Amino acid sequence: MENLPILSIMALFMGAFLNSLVGRRSRAAGNAVVLIAMGAAFCMMAALVPAVFFGGQTICYWLGGWAPDGGWAYGIGLEVDALSLFFGLIVTIAVLVSGIYSFTYMKEDDSQVNFYTLFLMLSGSVLGLVLSGDLFNVFVMVEIMTFSAVALTAFRNEYEGALEGAFKYLVVGSIGSTCILVGTILVYANLHTLNMAQIAALAPANMNMTMVAAFAFLFVGFATKAFLFPFQPLAADAHAVAPASISLMISGVLTKCGVYGIIRLCYGLFQNMDERSVGYLVTGFGMVTMFICVTMAFNQHNFKRLLAFHSISQVGYVITAIGAGTAMGLSAGLFHAVNHTLFKGLLFLVAGAVQHQSGSLDLDDLGGLSKNMPRTTVLFLIGAASISGLPPFNGFASKWMIYQALFEKAAQSGDFFYVLACLTALITSVLTLASFIKVAQSVFFGQRRAKYAQVKESPLGMRLPMWVLAALCALLGIFYRAFAAGFLNPAAGAALGVDAYIANALTGESVLTEPVSYWAIGSWNPLVWLILLVLATCAVALVSVTNKPRVREACAEGSVSQSAESVVPVTMDGVPAGGSASESVPPEEAKYEPFFSGEESEYSQVGGSDLFWGFKENCRKYFAFWHKWHSGVVNDYALYAVVCLAAVLLYCAAFVK
Amino acid sequence: MTVILMLVKIFLFPGLLFTLLVSLWLAGIDRRLVARMQRRVGPPLLQPWYDYLKCCGKETIIPRKANKRVFLAAPLLGLASVLVTAMLLPVGGISVFSGLTGAADLVVILYLLTFASVTLIVGAAASGSPFAGVGLSREMVAMISYELPFVLVILAVGRAAGQGLNEISQILLGAEGMGVTFSLADIAAYQQLTGLPLIARLSLIPAAIAMLFVIPCEVGQQPLDIDEAETEICEGVLAEYSGRPLARFKLMHLIKMYVMSGLFVAMFLHIETGILVLNVLIYLVLCTLVTFVSMTVPHAIMARLKVEQVFKFYWTFVTALALISLILVWCGV
Repeated sequence: MENLPILSIMALFMGAFLNSLVGRRSRAAGNAVVLIAMGAAFCMMAALVPAVFFGGQTICYWLGGWAPDGGWAYGIGLEVDALSLFFGLIVTIAVLVSGIYSFTYMKEDDSQVNFYTLFLMLSGSVLGLVLSGDLFNVFVMVEIMTFSAVALTAFRNEYEGALEGAFKYLVVGSIGSTCILVGTILVYANLHTLNMAQIAALAPANMNMTMVAAFAFLFVGFATKAFLFPFQPLAADAHAVAPASISLMISGVLTKCGVYGIIRLCYGLFQNMDERSVGYLVTGFGMVTMFICVTMAFNQHNFKRLLAFHSISQVGYVITAIGAGTAMGLSAGLFHAVNHTLFKGLLFLVAGAVQHQSGSLDLDDLGGLSKNMPRTTVLFLIGAASISGLPPFNGFASKWMIYQALFEKAAQSGDFFYVLACLTALITSVLTLASFIKVAQSVFFGQRRAKYAQVKESPLGMRLPMWVLAALCALLGIFYRAFAAGFLNPAAGAALGVDAYIANALTGESVLTEPVSYWAIGSWNPLVWLILLVLATCAVALVSVTNKPRVREACAEGSVSQSAESVVPVTMDGVPAGGSASESVPPEEAKYEPFFSGEESEYSQVGGSDLFWGFKENCRKYFAFWHKWHSGVVNDYALYAVVCLAAVLLYCAAFVK
Repeated sequence: MTVILMLVKIFLFPGLLFTLLVSLWLAGIDRRLVARMQRRVGPPLLQPWYDYLKCCGKETIIPRKANKRVFLAAPLLGLASVLVTAMLLPVGGISVFSGLTGAADLVVILYLLTFASVTLIVGAAASGSPFAGVGLSREMVAMISYELPFVLVILAVGRAAGQGLNEISQILLGAEGMGVTFSLADIAAYQQLTGLPLIARLSLIPAAIAMLFVIPCEVGQQPLDIDEAETEICEGVLAEYSGRPLARFKLMHLIKMYVMSGLFVAMFLHIETGILVLNVLIYLVLCTLVTFVSMTVPHAIMARLKVEQVFKFYWTFVTALALISLILVWCGV
């Protein structure tokens, strides 16, 4: 039992090396190695579930048998409590799904052996990070993670912007890693230990100005890894060019490392989450991130770039909820974290499938694919419904818990700030919905260009992982109470039960952690709702059976030909479509042919970027500002990182005790 | 016995049948009153019902470019979902699910209403028509517009009722509650316990006014029916619909009218006497009143707004009203 954590990390790293040995000769053997490594890691994590989640145990493993002596930890340790295992499970599931998808998705790529080696290195490092009980090892794993992620981002370097995206990620990602290193050094200088349990035991009593600085450095470092504002442009650039399975890893797994780091930092190491200033800091970051990113997603023309901004926006929800500092907030945040991996993974894989089959990700160019890819369309709709928080999917359940947690926190503390947070979260949700309506309309519905008439449904090897994620989205949404009782509450309990975390590591005794419990201020029973919906649907359908309707498939008069006239597409306000829209839409082949009953020369151009005109028109100054802000220049992004660090340092110095 | 009672509740009262009858009544009276205000005679009260039946008998045409399954499934799902949402309202003190184990709270109702709008949008998108494309884009802008004040109203009411219940439970039980609530049952219970509807509270009057503005936008009733706008974009979202699916979407629209009116009554005007029949009668009168004030009057006296006007109006004026209320309630006024 104690060996399982280290074995699961080793399985992934060993898989990476074995793959580069075996995979060069035969890809099938290489794939088998990858599959076994991923499967083994997942099974070992799953094997720990009964003891850790249901039994409340914490599992410690000391490398080389260097167990703590006299309450002082010398050796390197792994400490797996329910919180670590929760993230470990997220990581291994995401890795498994992403890997299986890659087998089909990456089939036509060159040097796949390098891809899978890097992929397994990335997986192993992330798993090592969340299971580690040692702050310096966290830094080491962060470094491996960042560099393999950078390499994988640029893996398809024939894409325009692949190297550029990777380079930006490298520069700003390194700033983040350095912040973590500096924070670690400051902690070590003060407390003379790197073991996280020991830091947690000593830090609250030894707070001074340098420890506050260490907190700020570590916070900014983990914020970089979660791509919180102002680091979100990196994620957008990286996601747009990375292979879809790597986008899943970056959004579903790498950002979770940042989230995990912030939870451990605020709840575990420094235990200063109760302080008002820390709550403001964390929730403030989350609020700003979720709102700005969702509005930025409005302006995107690239499917995966749009998803990237949403991904960060949803991480903003998680951070906001964590900042509430209550048991329910933590539970809700963890729930949204796992949901984020599921629905975001699903959506990235859908985007990958669209790209794989049609060769394009341009929202202004694609259209009407639901006729070619009906199954993928259903998968997309499930993912979109989940992320926009439509009942009964998982995104709704977790967002609903987040609203409650924030509103309760506001009532308990009397802080209007948390009401604003709750409000921002609710508004972000409807904006998310709007932007996925845009994707649905411009990729899967609407009119189809002639060149996409031959697009085929995505292959089963790609659909299967997507179905797994979609099924999990639905199941977690419907049975959210069982999931909360079995997984979320123990994990939140472990994060809050710092004393048990310390005792388990330093004394060697087994201290059990208790799951948290909380009161809900609302009620939501998905099962009852579903039963009623089925009943109502049957009732409505039954009423209509009485007489069979005549159904006719319309055939437009004269069957307007697919080739449209050369008229410049005009946006809804009568201005010729500018910017990237006009570049990507050659006039000879506009997306919308003249409408059946209208004049042939009149166009009704509703490209993806022209949707929601009324909203954009009113907010054009806001959008213009952020458009300018996302300059695409790496110098600017590095500057934002430094300014952000300076601001957090000043804030912490002034307000954090 | 409980099963039969439950089935009666779901299918007859206050479930499906009651919902349908009230919706048709509200729609009928709305059309007649609009006509009278415009010095016309107006259609008979049962006209919405005739329209529905007539529509059902018509041929269903599916456009060549449509995604057939989604196109046909969307109206069915949308209608079913608003019917279920209507069951979550407390009708004169009784609801299909009562007590703390209720099926859904205010936030869930907000999202279920969104769910219904999304079925409309997805159905429109699946039709493949550019007019529907313009229509769904406008529907979405309308949704963004009203969502902000709607959410603020919910928070204000939730705080007011939660705080009130807190004080009551402190006096009665000596225990403290959460201080806020999302539960419609709690809000109704608070109004019943104090004997005063929440609209009687001065600080909540701006929120009530804001809610009256939210109702027509959420329903898509005339001056705010930017998503349909038959004169500009040929019924927009409904452009390609005909026959039975169209009838379903039309019926969904009518039921939404009732749901929003009923929601307003439950949030601000919940009045309970000891007698059930009287309760239901009061409820019906109040629903009709809310429909008249929030939907009939603007319909009769105003022309359709432009898309950007809608957004601006809701995010400035209506939001400000709701925000004032929330701040006042938060300060304990």
